[in-house]
Amino acid sequence: MTYTVIGHCPRTGRVGIGIATFSITVGMYCNGVKSRTGVTISQAFVNQGNNALVLRLLEQGYKPDAVMAQLAANDPDHEYRQIGIIDREGRVAAHTGPKTRGWSGHKVGPGWLACGNGLVGPQVVEAIGDGFMAEPDADLEHRLLMGIEAGRDAGGQGTPQRHKTERSAALVVHSRYTYSDIDLRVDLHEAAIDELRRIWLEYKQYEAFYRERSRNPRDAVPQEVFVARLQPKTAEAVA
Amino acid sequence: MTFSVLARCPTTGHFGIGVATYSLCVGQYCDGLRSRVGATMTQAFVNQGNNDLALRLLSMGYTAARVMEELAGNDPHHDYRQIAIIDHDGAVAAFTGSKTRGWAGHRTGEGFAAFGNVLAGPEVADAIAAGFLSQPELPLEYRLLRALECGRDAGGQCGGEGHLTERSAVLRVFGDQPYADLDLRVDVHDRAVDELRCCFEAYMPYRDYYRERGRDPVHAMPQEAFVARLRATR
Repeated sequence: MTYTVIGHCPRTGRVGIGIATFSITVGMYCNGVKSRTGVTISQAFVNQGNNALVLRLLEQGYKPDAVMAQLAANDPDHEYRQIGIIDREGRVAAHTGPKTRGWSGHKVGPGWLACGNGLVGPQVVEAIGDGFMAEPDADLEHRLLMGIEAGRDAGGQGTPQRHKTERSAALVVHSRYTYSDIDLRVDLHEAAIDELRRIWLEYKQYEAFYRERSRNPRDAVPQEVFVARLQPKTAEAVA
Repeated sequence: MTFSVLARCPTTGHFGIGVATYSLCVGQYCDGLRSRVGATMTQAFVNQGNNDLALRLLSMGYTAARVMEELAGNDPHHDYRQIAIIDHDGAVAAFTGSKTRGWAGHRTGEGFAAFGNVLAGPEVADAIAAGFLSQPELPLEYRLLRALECGRDAGGQCGGEGHLTERSAVLRVFGDQPYADLDLRVDVHDRAVDELRCCFEAYMPYRDYYRERGRDPVHAMPQEAFVARLRATR
């Protein structure tokens, strides 16, 4: 039981993932994002080796469909997996194995994929796609977060009779560096997507400061000073 | 303002890291671990390119000390960085740049480094090391978490205005796989090390279940059933 959106931004070439689930600490499975390479996720009954294999195959020039065929051939339990792959050109491949549990499925668009299992119904992946496409000019992390929030609002995981809350969530975006651009996580919470949104808003205030401090340490103000400047602004925004 | 412990388990060869800091979302900087290759962390004024470069050099066979020299040669702001590197033989290199802020320093021992900046004092680095060494027979993740807790209890971080709380923390271990063996994070919290302990205690009962479910889906029980069983045994 998990729902996810992975996407490629045609404007910037950035790739990323937004994910939420009932399981604890889902972020540890989101190691399938790589700058200038692509993005992938394996969920449902996870084959944890898939992400590293996918990224290596993409780097060698395999297209997503061909990569998926390799995964299928490499895994006797492929029909228990749910997998999404997008390459650096935005090509998409998706697989929802027939033995994943509950309502499971995916929806694919140009440069994006919404997928989930153990969901209340197909409306959840529809909503994730709509949420992701709602503001196509926005930054990728914003669109990914909108995607999973829309999935939550459409009922998320469980059955129509019995909803299951999101206990963990993650948001990861890579651009052109060997490290992530955005990498936010909620590992254990009662409303993990709400908490992810809170962390995102909080982090956004610091993002430029953290980046600049690393690149130009000579002129960096101490973080305490930065935080002190931040707080009056926050208070005004609240008022 | 960060305190960390980076280590290689002499029994298993696994690599791990524990970090706590006043900054938000520190886990995003902890991408410097790779199974059978080594472990590294750059903090203080972070050079985010360092981790990937260090791992590539380690995988080519450079020793930890040699990698550190390369990082120094590659960065005009090396003086502002705090860096630890452990290679797959367990050799440790540590560096605390002269321009890192507050009390900054490191302690190294066999297969581990305890290091931090903007700390209450040297007693914090000493406490992290002592915490890590206190129960050497335990699995690596327990030792790393204990080390962070000892660093916190020894005063942790201290800026110009006094004590700074831990707002984010991370605990990560790589075993023999190309993915993390354990990977827990707290991104924004008032007492992130306490919360990391909560996540750890909550996660550990699930760990084998999650692992086994992926490896043998044919025989996996539904998570609801597992959770119910877990509750019944408490």
